[in-house]
Amino acid sequence: MDILYLLIPLSVALVFFILAGLWWAIDRGQFEDIESEGERILRDD
Amino acid sequence: MTQVNVLLGQRPASPQALESAAPELTQAHRDTPQQRLALLDAPEEWAAFSLPEKTESGCWRSSVVFEGMHCAACAITLEDALRAVPGVRSVQISGASHRGQIVWSPELTRPSEWMRSVERHGYKALPANDAHAHARRREEARRMVWRWSVAALCMMQVMMYATPTYLTQPGEISDEALHLLRWASWVLSLPVMFFSCTPFLSNAWRDLRERQISMDLPVALGMVVTFVVSTLGTFEPQGPFGAEIFFDSFTMFVFFLLTGRWLELRMRDRTAGALEAVLNRLPDSVRKRQTDGTWALMSIRRLQVGDVIEVLPGEAFAGDGLVLVGQTQVDEALLTGESRPLARRAGDRVIAGSHNLSGTLQVQIEQIGAATRYAQIVTLMESASVSKPAMALLVDRWAKPFLVVVMLTSLASAIYGWPTDPAHAVMVAVAMLIVTCPCALSLATPAAMLATAGALARSGVLVRRLSALQNLALIDTVIFDKTGTLTRDAFEVAHIHTRDGVSHSQALDWAGSLARHSLHPVSRALWSEARRRAEAAGRLDALEALTAHDVNELAGQGVQGVLTQSGQEPQALRLGSAAFCAAPSRAGHHLQVSLADASGWLASFELAEQVRPEASGVVQALAQMGLSLKVLSGDGPAAVAQVAQAVGIADAQGGCSPQHKLQALQALQAQGHKVAMVGDGLNDGPVLAGADVSFALGQAVPLAQAQSDFVLMGGQLAVLVSTLQRSRQTMRIVRQNLWWSAAYNATCVPLALMGWLPAWAAGLGMALSSLLVVLNALRLSQALPDSLQQQALVLQSV
Repeated sequence: MDILYLLIPLSVALVFFILAGLWWAIDRGQFEDIESEGERILRDD
Repeated sequence: MTQVNVLLGQRPASPQALESAAPELTQAHRDTPQQRLALLDAPEEWAAFSLPEKTESGCWRSSVVFEGMHCAACAITLEDALRAVPGVRSVQISGASHRGQIVWSPELTRPSEWMRSVERHGYKALPANDAHAHARRREEARRMVWRWSVAALCMMQVMMYATPTYLTQPGEISDEALHLLRWASWVLSLPVMFFSCTPFLSNAWRDLRERQISMDLPVALGMVVTFVVSTLGTFEPQGPFGAEIFFDSFTMFVFFLLTGRWLELRMRDRTAGALEAVLNRLPDSVRKRQTDGTWALMSIRRLQVGDVIEVLPGEAFAGDGLVLVGQTQVDEALLTGESRPLARRAGDRVIAGSHNLSGTLQVQIEQIGAATRYAQIVTLMESASVSKPAMALLVDRWAKPFLVVVMLTSLASAIYGWPTDPAHAVMVAVAMLIVTCPCALSLATPAAMLATAGALARSGVLVRRLSALQNLALIDTVIFDKTGTLTRDAFEVAHIHTRDGVSHSQALDWAGSLARHSLHPVSRALWSEARRRAEAAGRLDALEALTAHDVNELAGQGVQGVLTQSGQEPQALRLGSAAFCAAPSRAGHHLQVSLADASGWLASFELAEQVRPEASGVVQALAQMGLSLKVLSGDGPAAVAQVAQAVGIADAQGGCSPQHKLQALQALQAQGHKVAMVGDGLNDGPVLAGADVSFALGQAVPLAQAQSDFVLMGGQLAVLVSTLQRSRQTMRIVRQNLWWSAAYNATCVPLALMGWLPAWAAGLGMALSSLLVVLNALRLSQALPDSLQQQALVLQSV
């Protein structure tokens, strides 16, 4: 069970890593207009 | 597909606009869009709708509103068009709100260049002048999402770390591993405590410093207590609070609370969007007449009273003004609730923020900026939305002692339970603190009333004080003024008396040819009656050919002028009061105007007030709602009785001075009646102020001076009925909300006190109860039936 001593701190680090990614996404306005992105597939080119 | 959208985008506002716009567009106008856009190229102009971009130095982020967008595919077309412009760094366009953000570099391009690219694709980009407020709100929304996501992610992970402690038997898991799990939970609770909770904590701290108690205080207290107790449990398991930790409960209730707050914020923004449509209507540039008679484009900020501007079809008026030249139809729907296009010609007034639909006009500006009716409407809406209704004040007054009691009770329960099980006692106290937060209770009234005020504003009814909605629902008597309320401001010709040998139509033609030069209501009535009859007889041209010259108007007396008819001697005519025309005065309760020539009296016209066509329907609908109706007027008793009879009100009293009216009103109130007064808002000041609820009618009312609680901006009586119905509905929903939130608190407090309600369930309950209240209130934000439908409804009930 010694692996827990590595995995649990690692999972904490992972959460912070994901949070950083989330912050990046929110700060870039990724969640502000959800509808039109879905309709992008309809574009011609 | 793109092609189709471009074509759709070019569709003008209305078919009329298309017909008459085409011939109006002369060479002089064709290059004006470019000049108009070029105005925006000065840094002080673009700063009004742009902010310096943070991530790319030297670039600006501009907010624009797009016209002509129909769907999300338009947004894609526009984004492509804008990205193709050199110097445009990035583009974000929202298909839902028709707004966009454009980041561009001033070294390579100018706003006019990318705006022109938008116009080449058949759309129109307008600078969003509320960009700064909009950016602030977006920033707020982003931070809220960010707080919420942090709480959500940490909650999930903390839950995983907590699972082993629920699932394993004592001794099955080593103390070191357990301690590691607790430490991990603590680490992930830190961002929740110090980032996600900050709105609650900072509000509570502000209230504490101001020695006030608000709803955030118990919630913040609950958060701090749980976090501190769990932290001590983690690092000092032998301490007074034992080894118990509650990080899972803590993160979960923070998550639920934030979910509730976030949804609330989104709904508020949606209601604000309705008002925003009104707030963002003034054009950014105008064409002003120079001293040498040419037209020059300039920014609206340099417009001054007295300037003459030219307004093309499709443009909005920049200020309140008088039409000098031209004839058109205008759309005042957002300002007055009148959905039909209204005709405007030389001599008429137009209001800022309304739209010119069909013809080119020259308008002399009479009011700009804060003095315009438009600005007054905006200010009124803003001030009403922050006023607190009486019922909300009552709730706030009770909330304070309630919160004190809650905090003392939770303290007492913690002390009581302490000797047996300190950990359990602390959690009961925390659950109490969170579950009793009377958020729902204090949201119940303002949420409903704001939703109603927004819906009414869109139908042309301004609410000056939210608490008036509450009074309106209790009304049992309605008092109408006569002039301008049950009747129109305009007159109609009732009878014509003439000298022997002069026909009615001849007299009317002569009178009309003089009257057309005057703006007096009586003159207008004569001119329009003359036109109407001539048109019916098919000799409109002959009437138009009658021209009077040397016309002058003598204030308070009448008009005089010389009429030249082909093949006849010029005639010197006078139109006005009996004394002015040396005419015999006649008995009767109608207003009289006389016409005389050099040899004396020619004709007399009796003018009657026009009863509003919808008045009798409205009266009947109100009577069906169980209201007693009354007319009080300063006019002669006979005229008042006649109008009252025409609309179907039995109780009418004429010849009242304002004091009489006020006395009659107070007498009714002394009998316990709740009285609504409907007047024109100008002559009835004290009476309107004395009534329980007052309505001012008519577009002539200077809004800032109107004493009334409600202003019917479109001058439509029909909207009175639906306003009354909506106010009753509002109070029904307010009562539902209050009952629901009171019942919620009444059941949850004992449950929490017994220890049956864990902290996370308390957080969920609180968030859900507030959400339910807001959702219930949103039912009121649906639009009132528009004026035509209302008239149809009113007529049906007749």
